[in-house]
Amino acid sequence: MSFFYIGDAAAVGEDNHGEGVAVLVAGGELDYAASPQLKERLASQIDAGMRRLVLDLSMATFIDSTAIGVVVGVALQLDELSGGLLAVVCADENKRVLRILEIAGLESLLALHSSREQALLELTAAG
Amino acid sequence: MRAPAEHNGATAIDELRLPALPAKLGVAREYAQRAATAFGLDADRCYEFVFAVNEAVTNAIRHGAPDEHGHIHLSVLTDRDRLTLAVRDYGTFSGFAPGCATSTEHGRGFALMARTMDAVQLSVGSGSTIVRLSKARA
Repeated sequence: MSFFYIGDAAAVGEDNHGEGVAVLVAGGELDYAASPQLKERLASQIDAGMRRLVLDLSMATFIDSTAIGVVVGVALQLDELSGGLLAVVCADENKRVLRILEIAGLESLLALHSSREQALLELTAAG
Repeated sequence: MRAPAEHNGATAIDELRLPALPAKLGVAREYAQRAATAFGLDADRCYEFVFAVNEAVTNAIRHGAPDEHGHIHLSVLTDRDRLTLAVRDYGTFSGFAPGCATSTEHGRGFALMARTMDAVQLSVGSGSTIVRLSKARA
């Protein structure tokens, strides 16, 4: 059976990232069964006025081309909004997901960080 | 299980009929994982094999058509040092959409399959499309 989850870090008390900044965590198997919900969660943050998003994929065990497509689509969408930026986090230990992201050429399209702290620092610096 | 059938010089050892639903992708990945482990691919090659099979099955579910029972067909073929998994659907592949590239939201599945497998073969017939994904043992 496949399993995935998508949550925002605010749910676990990490909600002080600054105005317009949101952190989302997506874990488990991010496949075509999961990617529409991933897209919806990211879109609802943008609709709520968030312009700088952090997506933490460190707990993902699998990611497919449709979930990568969602990430790229959101990055492109934020690019077109004033002050918009998407930072993706994947811990160094998660070599399998990192390998897929690398094969997909994600690093040429958006900022990839090894920790949430690092991603938030960059978003703050960019702001 | 049906009797093994000869195909392209390799032996078909197993078949799975999978409902063409996104929720069944996990079943396809488990099937690919079992085949890759039984064949003796190492852990990294197993992961790449499972990844590529997931892409092919996703394409069949999204863009292809199932058989009259709502299924797409997966079969495993082996020869001495190569494992092949074939994904068959009953749509007619209509070509790659324009604008497929790294920097767009859609259209990266095939390129990723090619980068994770040793061979990707697409056979388009009238009324069915087969993608064969092959990976050598080492």
